[in-house]
Amino acid sequence: MVRTVYSPEYCLQYLEQYASQESFVLGLILGQITDARENIIHLARTPEEKSTDTGSESSYTSEKTECVRNLLGVSEAWVADHAKHVTRMLPGGMFVQGIFITSDEDVFEDPNHFSKIKTILNFTHKILSSNPHMFGNYPHSNERLILHMSTSTKVLTCKSMEVGSGKTTSIKPVEWKFLPKPQQWQRLDCYYEFDDIYPIIVKKSGISVKQQFQQILEAAHKTIQSSVMFIDGELKDGSDALEQLIKKKRPKNSTKAQDVPKSMHVSLFVPFESSLPETVEYLECDGSIHFSGVVSSSVFMYPKATVSEAIAAVKQDIIRSLASRFTMHCDALIDDNLLPEEKVCFNEPPRRVLVPVGALYLCDYLFPGEAPAEALLSVKELLDLQITENDVVCDVETPADTSEFDALDRDASSEELLATPQEASQFMYITGICFAMFVLIVSILIHYYDAIAQFMGKLLTRS
Amino acid sequence: MSPRLKISKYVIERLSKIDTNEITGCLYGLMYDSTLLVVGMSLEFFENEKKTYRQLLLSLPAEIELCGIIRFTKSLCVESKAKEILQDVDITDNPLFIIINEDKKIKAHFLVHDKFEETSYDILPAEELWKQFIHVRLNTILPLTCEATIPGVKNVLQTKRKKIASGEVSFQIDGTAVYLFGIASDVGVTGTSMENNVGDLIDSITPEQSSKKKKYNLNKVEIVPVSLVMKATKDILSDKLVKTAVKMMTTQRKPAFCISMPLRVDTLAMVHRNTKLSELYTVLVEAACRSLKLLETVLLEQLGQEGIGDGAGLRLPETFHFLPQELGHFITRVVPKSIPDESMEKERRLIHEQLCLPLDRPIFRRGNAFCNNPGKLVNIHEALPPLPVKQDTTVALVRGKYTYHHYMQDNFNDDGWGCAYRSMQTIFSWFRFQGYTTVEIPTHRDIQQCLVNIGDKPSSFLGSKQWIGSTEVMFCLETLLGVQSRIIFANSGSELVNYTPELVHHFQKHGSPIMIGGGVLAHTIIGVEYNSVTNDTRYLILDPHYTGADDISVVISKGWCGWKNSDFWNKTAHYNLCLPQTKPVI
Repeated sequence: MVRTVYSPEYCLQYLEQYASQESFVLGLILGQITDARENIIHLARTPEEKSTDTGSESSYTSEKTECVRNLLGVSEAWVADHAKHVTRMLPGGMFVQGIFITSDEDVFEDPNHFSKIKTILNFTHKILSSNPHMFGNYPHSNERLILHMSTSTKVLTCKSMEVGSGKTTSIKPVEWKFLPKPQQWQRLDCYYEFDDIYPIIVKKSGISVKQQFQQILEAAHKTIQSSVMFIDGELKDGSDALEQLIKKKRPKNSTKAQDVPKSMHVSLFVPFESSLPETVEYLECDGSIHFSGVVSSSVFMYPKATVSEAIAAVKQDIIRSLASRFTMHCDALIDDNLLPEEKVCFNEPPRRVLVPVGALYLCDYLFPGEAPAEALLSVKELLDLQITENDVVCDVETPADTSEFDALDRDASSEELLATPQEASQFMYITGICFAMFVLIVSILIHYYDAIAQFMGKLLTRS
Repeated sequence: MSPRLKISKYVIERLSKIDTNEITGCLYGLMYDSTLLVVGMSLEFFENEKKTYRQLLLSLPAEIELCGIIRFTKSLCVESKAKEILQDVDITDNPLFIIINEDKKIKAHFLVHDKFEETSYDILPAEELWKQFIHVRLNTILPLTCEATIPGVKNVLQTKRKKIASGEVSFQIDGTAVYLFGIASDVGVTGTSMENNVGDLIDSITPEQSSKKKKYNLNKVEIVPVSLVMKATKDILSDKLVKTAVKMMTTQRKPAFCISMPLRVDTLAMVHRNTKLSELYTVLVEAACRSLKLLETVLLEQLGQEGIGDGAGLRLPETFHFLPQELGHFITRVVPKSIPDESMEKERRLIHEQLCLPLDRPIFRRGNAFCNNPGKLVNIHEALPPLPVKQDTTVALVRGKYTYHHYMQDNFNDDGWGCAYRSMQTIFSWFRFQGYTTVEIPTHRDIQQCLVNIGDKPSSFLGSKQWIGSTEVMFCLETLLGVQSRIIFANSGSELVNYTPELVHHFQKHGSPIMIGGGVLAHTIIGVEYNSVTNDTRYLILDPHYTGADDISVVISKGWCGWKNSDFWNKTAHYNLCLPQTKPVI
């Protein structure tokens, strides 16, 4: 059977728009594969590589993207980087499924072009698999899509190619279908909560934020994968389709079968590991880490997808979101060392916001202090989509304020801190001044060392 | 309206035997079907103003609560101390007040509007107790990390109790898709019908229990295994939902010692078969909290001791459940890992005294702990039909548990020569079950090695298929366990009868199995029936020559365990008996 993918109709217009400009365009295909059906959710053009002076806020329009390049001029690293950034915006269960190209040439026939496509897809695959917590690659298949629209004939061809497997690449035809009606999605929501305090050894070397986040991520990954998931408070049979759950629930007399399906509430319960060593570990610690807060998760599934597919998507979503935040936070970090310069240190990774794409939502992340308008930029740049500020759903998570930190900490433990944040800053201030004074005195001493020595010498000989 | 009253047969029996100078005791019971069932009692010594019953309550399965007091006097008067106990009764509005006079006559009263109203009661027989009530056993491991100080441990355990009590956990019935949820969730139970009760559940877990097996499983304790999962998501619909995004705070403090350990929660609840699954949630929460309090006690005791609070001397608390045959209910104890039983005698003596248990044998050592599946058949003789009561006849049986060891077990072919070894293993298992030792049951080779070591046998004996007799069993018991034995020598099988009174005395005083060797055969005697008028003797024999699988119905029906007349013994062969002796210890 030929692999068939279903795409919303606006994708056709999107392709035609570029093809009619007879320009070469390359972009990513975003979608979801379930046993029941493979759906495409969006096509996103890879932004211009030379973006030093694009000034995208004001004048970035599709008319201006006239490009002299062709496929061979594309940098695979650039496309892979685009895929990496777009993956952060995808909810669990959705992946970069391949690339689309509008061009004059027949990319499947021309060996140079096709080998470039191979390089791009393989390199992207490699980059996406570098951080396993991002779930960059669809885990159950390595067949990536290549969608081509000829700018001259407007003929659409789709094929698939296996990535990450070495030399032999088999090319298979793929049937690409456009859906006249917008696809319905089953939404599943949850708030995963963290509230862990653990002791650490700071000593003199301090603590790396990156390492700390990595440890949290690995622990969270293990816990979440082992957790039991309930949908609307009930344990469901993994092989049931999501839409069946709604049908079962709906009373028979309600005739409106075409209701927009309500969001399902997901809850996760974690068992405790029994693999811990049966001993008391004993450590001298001089610090503690309190990791707290929520990861809001909204995944969108094809209604005929099974419960187990939905469970996998939710778990992926939470871990992917956590990994995205941590990466973004660490990338923006000037100094990776947490302590010992300060007694108390906060790290606030960016928070999640939702952005509408077609009938569903993808997400973006806002750093503390960033306005929702920032999300418009990334949506424009990475998804090639124009939305307004009002479209951004900003209240799925709220930013942390430091006063809440203090309260949380006083609540959580009555252990006396060496210094509370305010005291700490005062302390730092005073030590700072003292240190400055010390430096001043020492430098004066050094500077006038000869003079002083002479003077002292005289003083001594005289007596 | 005051509830109906039932008293467990065990409590009645204990009261009838009690001999104490104390005048007050506490009663423990549970409510079901508007009936108060009294399942346990303890003496109250009012020492140091400490209310010992409060600590004891933590050792009882959840659902069993303080329900009243007992007075060993004639009068109905209650002084202030006893009144305080009555005020602690939460389980019913009408605390129970039992008085028992010198003739062991029991009168029960309910306290209704400050007045005692005498009430009648039914006695719940032991078989009924085990048939109608089920135990739920919650097992989970909570990772515990905190500062190695008393407030540190107290705080973190309090947080854990709060978390469990706040509905943030779900309980899973092991091996099923049944989960129980707290009130916070609108679904109480998933994976099965809301209306199901605990009895239906346990029947569905163990469906292969044929009528044949049931017949042989008298007084079997039924246990539903449960584990715990912690809620990691928040309720979206809750108004208290705080959506603050994840963040990390790192704090540097004065260096302090921290401990990190897997805290194993292992706790029981006792519920009636008709208890609805939806009612089980709160019961399990209480069970978990009791367990955490017990664990906390042991951790704090250790931290309070000198030299432990600041060093790595802290030991993991380990939980053991005990079901002494006199009590008819479980007692749970938590002890620090690998502290020898011998050094905790003081604590055990207190419990013995509190529960009026004999002071001459271990009951709460690790080895005494309840074990649902020891891997071999346990006390099979209990599956035999009860002996009819005859005049002038005394029956004396092995006291406590043992496992049945016989030919071909443990993938070891000893058919034709290993019977005395197997008999010795049965004796050894008895000493283990009674808490005298924690030494593993020796293999044939271990036994041979022991005999070589002490110079009783040459080294060529090792790995051979040579028989051993009663004296060798005696040597081994002494070397491996420090147990002394009496050897009885009978010139012939017919002479054996003369020793019956001594056997009766042995079972009454020591209660250990007896190994008997004669001719080419060794057997284990686990009981005698003796008619003091006619001198008729019957022996309860456990035969180690059985080579089949551990199937209780075969063992019983083919007579591998059963009562034998004195003609069972070879009239002309010599017989040697090894009677392992016990020392009075706790």
